[in-house]
Amino acid sequence: MNINRIFGENTRGVVLAILTVIILFPIGYSIISFVFAQTSPNAELFLEMPDSTYTECVKDTDYMRFHHWELLQSVRSEVVRFGIRGDISLSGCRKCHTSREQFCNKCHNAVSLYPDCFSCHYYP
Amino acid sequence: MKRRDFIKFFGGALLSGTTSAYAFRFLTTSILSNSSRDNPLPARKWGMVIDLNKCQSDCTECLTACRFENNVGFHDDNRWDVHWIRKVKLENQIGATVKEKDIVLLCNQCEHPPCAQVCPVQATYKREDGIVIVDHHRCVGCRYCMIACPYNARFFNFKDTHEWVNKDRPKRSHGVAESCNLCAHRLDVGKQPACVEACQNSGAGAIYVGNLNDQYSQVSRLIQGNSVKRIREDLGTDPKVYYLGL
Amino acid sequence: MDIKFESIEGKSFEYRVMMIVFAGFTVAGLLATWWVIQKGIWVTGMYSRAPWGLQIVMAVYYIGLSAGSLVISGLYGVFGKAEYKPFARIAVYIAMLFLIAGLLSIITDQGRMARIFIQPFVHFNLQSMFSINPILYIGHIFICLVYLWALFYEKKTLTKVVATLAFGWAFCVHTGTGAIFGFGARMLYESPLLPASFVAAAMASGTALMIIMIVMLFKLTNRIVDDELIIWLGRFLAICILVVLYFLLVENAYRAYVIELRHAAIFYLFGGYHSILFWVGLIIVGLVIPMAMLFNKRTGKTIRWIVLASSLVIFGVLCERYVIVLPGLMHPPELFPGMKITQSVFQEGIATYNISFLEVLQAVGVFGMIGFMFGWGLKFLKLLPTEARALR
Repeated sequence: MNINRIFGENTRGVVLAILTVIILFPIGYSIISFVFAQTSPNAELFLEMPDSTYTECVKDTDYMRFHHWELLQSVRSEVVRFGIRGDISLSGCRKCHTSREQFCNKCHNAVSLYPDCFSCHYYP
Repeated sequence: MKRRDFIKFFGGALLSGTTSAYAFRFLTTSILSNSSRDNPLPARKWGMVIDLNKCQSDCTECLTACRFENNVGFHDDNRWDVHWIRKVKLENQIGATVKEKDIVLLCNQCEHPPCAQVCPVQATYKREDGIVIVDHHRCVGCRYCMIACPYNARFFNFKDTHEWVNKDRPKRSHGVAESCNLCAHRLDVGKQPACVEACQNSGAGAIYVGNLNDQYSQVSRLIQGNSVKRIREDLGTDPKVYYLGL
Repeated sequence: MDIKFESIEGKSFEYRVMMIVFAGFTVAGLLATWWVIQKGIWVTGMYSRAPWGLQIVMAVYYIGLSAGSLVISGLYGVFGKAEYKPFARIAVYIAMLFLIAGLLSIITDQGRMARIFIQPFVHFNLQSMFSINPILYIGHIFICLVYLWALFYEKKTLTKVVATLAFGWAFCVHTGTGAIFGFGARMLYESPLLPASFVAAAMASGTALMIIMIVMLFKLTNRIVDDELIIWLGRFLAICILVVLYFLLVENAYRAYVIELRHAAIFYLFGGYHSILFWVGLIIVGLVIPMAMLFNKRTGKTIRWIVLASSLVIFGVLCERYVIVLPGLMHPPELFPGMKITQSVFQEGIATYNISFLEVLQAVGVFGMIGFMFGWGLKFLKLLPTEARALR
């Protein structure tokens, strides 16, 4: 099988390199940002303690820290697609965690995740 | 040849790895989101009755209420404004007589909605209680639903919504389609839609929303006791907005 | 028959200028698209009553232009006309590029572009033409890739199988694209004939494009092509035009005849500048004149005239795509038959639409992108045969 039948000389190396970089770029980017996020000085505890009557969140802290997006997504599909309006909602979060800058953005920025919830939903 | 084989193998492994990772993620999320709980929706079928005889020609309470309740995009330019509910003047000429009438138009909440049929991502869909609703999180903004809708009732957010009157409800960023959803968030918690409330507060009481499956509800009794009409019944979309005195 | 394929050298001044121009187009298109993403679709001049614009027109046009491979693979792979084998590589490559262009046009038209790569494939809606079509397009791109691979490595059986598959699949692609409009609920869209007429128009424009491409490329790179092959393609093009005309006639006659649709037909045929495009651009310049040229004994056998006719057909089919997409949008659905809406907060009645500068930039960008890929392919892939001769 002679590759020169398709490509001219000296091009396949360049093409393959470019393709590999394109394929690898998103994966490498997320791996690097994840690793850096673990060690970055910003990656301290982000949670400001809420000054509120509530003492506990809807789920325990460990779950909320890493899986709150799953919870929010399943709540979202329950509300939007099945019309089940339960107790958990973004405005519920707002009762304790009053500031978006302190509560959401600090952590999201550190792990370079930029969800666009708040372009439509209100959070002060 | 050896390097080529290595590249082949490596590339193939990478490709299949990434695709399966994506596939796994989608599979799990779809299982999560489709977890069916027992929900109260199927027992109800929301419908609307608009009594045009009571509707006053210079009153726009329902339009304002809708705009304030749902943060509907308004840009002072009728090319890009979004109207979940709008009022038009209709002229019917029979011989020499000209009959004029004001009509409130909104999404007809069809039983067989063409917009949901053509939506490529199932963002527009019919809930089990008959409300046609848009999942703004999923809409890609292809605008096919606007073309399919025979009632001109669907609108597209060409611009970001800027004013944010009702902070409890989301506003829209540009690039998603929408239409009236009969204030599903209010109906779900047992309140009446904003337009109905506004109409009652203004004293006219021309708009009613209720359960069509319950034959003793107000809308059912109005439909039974009067001659009702729907817009373009001949299209077979089976709208659930009924007009008295059209 | 042993055919040798050669890539072009790609060091000439003209080639470099071409590549730079295409790259410039691409950059312009990307900038325009970025601007549209940032600001929202309204900057392109689309509004509530004209939600689709030039991008959709160009998308269906590009998809139609990819039908050249349908013709060639039909001639060579299905009907066994071995003299068209030299054109198979270039035809399939161009088809693939135009399918990519169609997809790019659709993608850049979306309000939420980032979601189009995931959502349609996760939440597939079997009832929606817009959901089925991307699958068809992507499938066709893959088939084209396999086809190219089979052609490059000269695998005889595989080529035969893939050519047949590509032929059938391309039919589905063009029918499906027509069905986006033909199955729509608008008065000027709704027509079971539209998918079929779409296939005919696609084959006409695809053949015309192939004729122009073959003649131009072979001339510019000093290769030999037998006139007979081009003349045969020209005759085929003439027949395609005849079929397109027939479909147009039936469709418009139906609309004009049925009382319910008559005012829509009047709007379509005599209702504004799209009517000028329809009569002058499509019927006269785009179909009748080229058909006369191609059926004429003298001009139908001259390469120069055939190329001119092909260019006219390509222009005519662009007009056809425009008059399929936009008049159907501008003509409003009738909410109250027999009554008139005199006053509304919203533009009721017949809408207007003007092509805006940004849309043109986006379309040009898509064209530049595939043009760049085309140039790249000419240089690095062995697409063109050294000569193409008719069988005697």
